[in-house]
Amino acid sequence: MNRALSRSRVATFVVLTLFSVAPLLMLVMTSLARGWFYPAVAPDAIDFSAWQDVFTDETHRGALINSLVLGAATAVIATALALPLGRLAALSTRAVRRTVALLAFAAVALPPVALGIGLQLSVLALGLGGSLFGILLAHLVPALGYLTLVFLGVFTRWDPRLDEAAATLGASDLVRWKLLLLPLLRRPIAEALALGFLVSWSQVALTLLVGGGAVRTLPLDVLAMLQSGQDQRAAVGALALAFPALIVLAIAGAAARNTSAVVA
Amino acid sequence: MNSTSVFPRASLLPLIMAGALLGIPMLIGTGYLIAGALGVVGNAAPGALGRVLGDAQVWRSALLSLWIAALGTAVSLIGAVSVALLFSGNERVDRAIRSIAALPLPVPTVAAAVAMLLLLSQSGWLARVASQLHLIASPADFPAIVNDPFAIGLITAVVWKEMPFLTLVALSLQSLRGPAFIDAARTLGASRIQTLRTITLPLLLRGMAPSIIAVFVFVLGSLELALILAPSAPLALPLLIQERRTALDMASHGEAYVIALLATGLALLAVLLHEWLREDA
Repeated sequence: MNRALSRSRVATFVVLTLFSVAPLLMLVMTSLARGWFYPAVAPDAIDFSAWQDVFTDETHRGALINSLVLGAATAVIATALALPLGRLAALSTRAVRRTVALLAFAAVALPPVALGIGLQLSVLALGLGGSLFGILLAHLVPALGYLTLVFLGVFTRWDPRLDEAAATLGASDLVRWKLLLLPLLRRPIAEALALGFLVSWSQVALTLLVGGGAVRTLPLDVLAMLQSGQDQRAAVGALALAFPALIVLAIAGAAARNTSAVVA
Repeated sequence: MNSTSVFPRASLLPLIMAGALLGIPMLIGTGYLIAGALGVVGNAAPGALGRVLGDAQVWRSALLSLWIAALGTAVSLIGAVSVALLFSGNERVDRAIRSIAALPLPVPTVAAAVAMLLLLSQSGWLARVASQLHLIASPADFPAIVNDPFAIGLITAVVWKEMPFLTLVALSLQSLRGPAFIDAARTLGASRIQTLRTITLPLLLRGMAPSIIAVFVFVLGSLELALILAPSAPLALPLLIQERRTALDMASHGEAYVIALLATGLALLAVLLHEWLREDA
């Protein structure tokens, strides 16, 4: 490897590491510092009170629970619906596959504010305005879009011969799902659950519009704290948002590694 | 053909399912926007379309949002391609940087925006370091790169959030394609630079095209980044929609619907382009 290439590798390594890690470190430092003002570069003392607030203060805890409930429900429902849809579309003709992919990508790509205003009026018409259930319906739209794309990809590369062989040997639908398809699908299902959770977990615009401000979730809580100048609590909330995201992806990664050892 | 499969291969069923699960919510959403824009629902006064099209503020907002999305995507792309070209090997340092580069990927956008605000604002951490080094005397001396007219802080947050995604796409394309084309070009006498310019980059960019469109369209519609980091004048498009929708003046509500339709139209154009560029459908 020549010297210029080696030097640019070192430079990129340093810059990229600083760029990726610095914002997260900034959140950690701010979350542990009470009254840390300009021009102090480091906080005077470490203070865990803002961390306790997230779990003891009723508003923050309520927001956290709402976010967890919405994330879990979105993940499970969207996975249960997107898996059969992705599979059916992948087994179908190219035209059907492309139409389904187009609809799924549109659900992901529509500006959440625009979709949110439209859905807000329809959720209000259903009498679900400002309810957790109404917000769940709204979160399901982009989540279904993402997960349909995931399962469409999984089943487009899928080898149907195992399933066909099992059917030829007389295995019923139920037996094939239990013994063959679900074990083989453990990795994509884990990833889909993780992704579905994250789509809801980080959602702001749809929650704000469809919830009409009546339902507080963790991202909305973080925004409110930031706007009222409570930087320390906002940093705690931001980290609380980032942690499950990192953990969920790590679990999905672990599930993927465990299964690929069996399947590959 | 294969009647014993768990699902029948009928093509109508997936279309009906996709229509019900994805199509109908989007149609209802867009339908209400159109009805709102026409003044049929949502207490909006008619004539909003004409007012929006003649409103310079709307066009300035659209330009700002396009600027943010274009520059954010371009810088993320340059970073992602550089990382993919420099670190696609299998040494320990390659694997390490690929993990570090992916770190921001799952972090929710709100968290990313808060972190950037704490880091880049005029009393943020970088300003404090500058003050300790006697580069600035007061926070006002630090360049305003948060809530600034050129949206530098916002674009930095976009790059932090979106570069990991494009990097993963670029790396997976690199590993799928393998070195065959490059080896052939080098054997035929092409220099390293020529190979990069005529083989590696065009193949990589062609494969990344749908992901590039996806990033562009996500950034264009992002409300939370704009809420925390965007300038107050002109407002980014999602903020302008929010402002008009919550205005006391009823006439503004209809304008919010029209601007939301405009943003939807921009996104749908990108969706069509995305589909057209996909290789694997």
